[in-house]
Amino acid sequence: MAPVNLSHRRTHNLLLISKLLSLRDTASPLTLVLDSLEQPATPLLKEYIRRAKLSKVHVTLIAFETLKQPEGVDAFVTTRRKSPADITKEVSAVYQHVANSNPSRRRLILIDSINPLLNSKRDDPGFHLPSFLSSFLAPTSPTAKVDTSLVVTYHQDVPEPPQQSPYASSPLSVLTYLATSIITLHSFSHILAQKAARDRSLAPPVFGLEEEQEGVLLGRLDKLSGTGAAEGIVIELEHRRKSGRGVLEWYLLPPASRYSPQHLKEIVTLLDDNILYNPPMERDPGAENEEPTSTFELGLTDKQRRDREGVVLPYFDAQSGDGPGEGGRILYDMGEEDDFDEEEDEI
Amino acid sequence: MPSQPPLPPLLAPYVSTLPDASLTLVSSILGATSNWLVLRFLHAALSSQSASTFGADDLQNGIKKKVVLVSFMRSYEFWKTEAKRLGLDLTRLAEKHQFAFIDGMSELFYAQSPAPTSSPGMGSSPRTTLPMRGPPGAVPGRAPQPTAPVGTMGNPAAKQEPGIAKKLHFSGRGLASLDAMEKDIALVIEQQKTQMEEGDELVLIIDQPDLLLATTGPSMGIGATEMSEWITGLQQLAHATIVTLATDTPLIHNASGLGGQLATPIETEHAAFAIGLAHRARSVMQLRTLETGAAKDVSGVLRISRGGGLGTGEDNLEEREALYFIQRDGGVTVFGRGES
Repeated sequence: MAPVNLSHRRTHNLLLISKLLSLRDTASPLTLVLDSLEQPATPLLKEYIRRAKLSKVHVTLIAFETLKQPEGVDAFVTTRRKSPADITKEVSAVYQHVANSNPSRRRLILIDSINPLLNSKRDDPGFHLPSFLSSFLAPTSPTAKVDTSLVVTYHQDVPEPPQQSPYASSPLSVLTYLATSIITLHSFSHILAQKAARDRSLAPPVFGLEEEQEGVLLGRLDKLSGTGAAEGIVIELEHRRKSGRGVLEWYLLPPASRYSPQHLKEIVTLLDDNILYNPPMERDPGAENEEPTSTFELGLTDKQRRDREGVVLPYFDAQSGDGPGEGGRILYDMGEEDDFDEEEDEI
Repeated sequence: MPSQPPLPPLLAPYVSTLPDASLTLVSSILGATSNWLVLRFLHAALSSQSASTFGADDLQNGIKKKVVLVSFMRSYEFWKTEAKRLGLDLTRLAEKHQFAFIDGMSELFYAQSPAPTSSPGMGSSPRTTLPMRGPPGAVPGRAPQPTAPVGTMGNPAAKQEPGIAKKLHFSGRGLASLDAMEKDIALVIEQQKTQMEEGDELVLIIDQPDLLLATTGPSMGIGATEMSEWITGLQQLAHATIVTLATDTPLIHNASGLGGQLATPIETEHAAFAIGLAHRARSVMQLRTLETGAAKDVSGVLRISRGGGLGTGEDNLEEREALYFIQRDGGVTVFGRGES
């Protein structure tokens, strides 16, 4: 890739991810996070919460599978035995007193897993996914202007039950259609293993459920062979700008242990900038010793070179035009070290 | 044969320290069942009180643990016999209110008077599911059935057999039936908690709740979401929860749609339930057979991975894969590949 292009991406796309994760300027009202067992969204959600705390954003977690209120979450809404309408009501209720005291605050709503809601057997004819999601984003009262960002996690590996109506689109396609940003998560060590295989034109390896090995749910192991230092998660971002132009970029989020919770500078880097993913090219590998190694001395000393340059080759002599028949004679000056062979001329 | 420590040293940190509100998922396949691992969990929680002669109580830090075991696939007789081999007397522990067994197997689908409206599909379920893994002897709990008062719902003290705190009954359909069972289990847990001191921990083990899903299914209004909500409700009552599930290939992989054929409801729901729980779990302990076939001195492979649970990522659970071998006497050795 051209270096100009990379530096352009470095400035623009890093700014973009920083804006998205820190919820600045409501760059993305609805972010869809697609995760899998191989790379759960937990570290990313924690990063969202960490940044929200730094910039004093009110965080609400709608818990479909989390049992305890995680650290940093201001409001924790459980969803057990609640209808979608109840959830919406409760989510707006927990923010009511905050909105009254400080109307200009921003708000982050996290949904830890949307799958249980989509797979529910509950007969709820009134449930409509787009309106459920937009009910969080729409202002609760016309006076209070709240910038709300919604981050929805969807587990890609949880199978969906067949649709009620065969013509209805699947919830995942509805979600990807609605989302302003789609983040797909990958494990860094798996990305490295797959890249290594591709570089050798091998089929990239698969992990976990995709292995289709009986009894294996998770393939992730800390010590995946050959990827000792590969910690962190890879973020594949597709962001739709307001103009309609899409931005595609791959980032790397380092593990939370690498930086302090109060760290303000951007920690996300481009995947292409990573030294493990994109090792720097060695400059002209082996330019110095291009010669093949052998037991013979193939080089020339200075004297040998001068002597070689002094040799007049026969065709030069032929061009000097000493007359017909003269050119093309084999000129031979006997050197000191030559051993004159009398019989040779007679042949 | 030199006797093995009841708790293999390699396994000890994973089964004895369970953080608060954590979910541990144990997945098994037909060739590598999970009951030995459940017994190790039982032993880790109960041994320091019942059999301190083992000297294995240095991990307990003085915290007393209680266990409530809800079993859907195996009878009390089975667990009692197997636990005895590890030196645990479950009946005695039950009398001391350290252990409670909830029988989800023997009378799960027995129609009883409080539930006269049983759907027609239910009658056939016990006959098709129960004999599969029934114990060799007489199924306990069936014999006293004629004399057993059916209204045990509000009266947990009415026990017919020593050791069994409760027998679960499935009645009705959908969420209501799950709620009724949850209430039954909650009663037993509350009963245990009355005996608890400050700092004691109650560990809830739910053995193979996927039977419930398989025998009811979406047609009864029970799917993966309802089941995992049910687990959530029970999780809230306990300190730590351990759930065992089957993850055989047809139950997990058929629903992924890669095979090209349409998945049946049970395949879809089971896969969604199992994978969804793995997303919630703190750790997932996966049991499987050796890829290279049966071996004389290896029973299977145990892989311990971190699950995707939010709020449980702080503790550093070390992921690892090890082999295990179940000996004739029920002792288990766990060792790394290449070790013995």
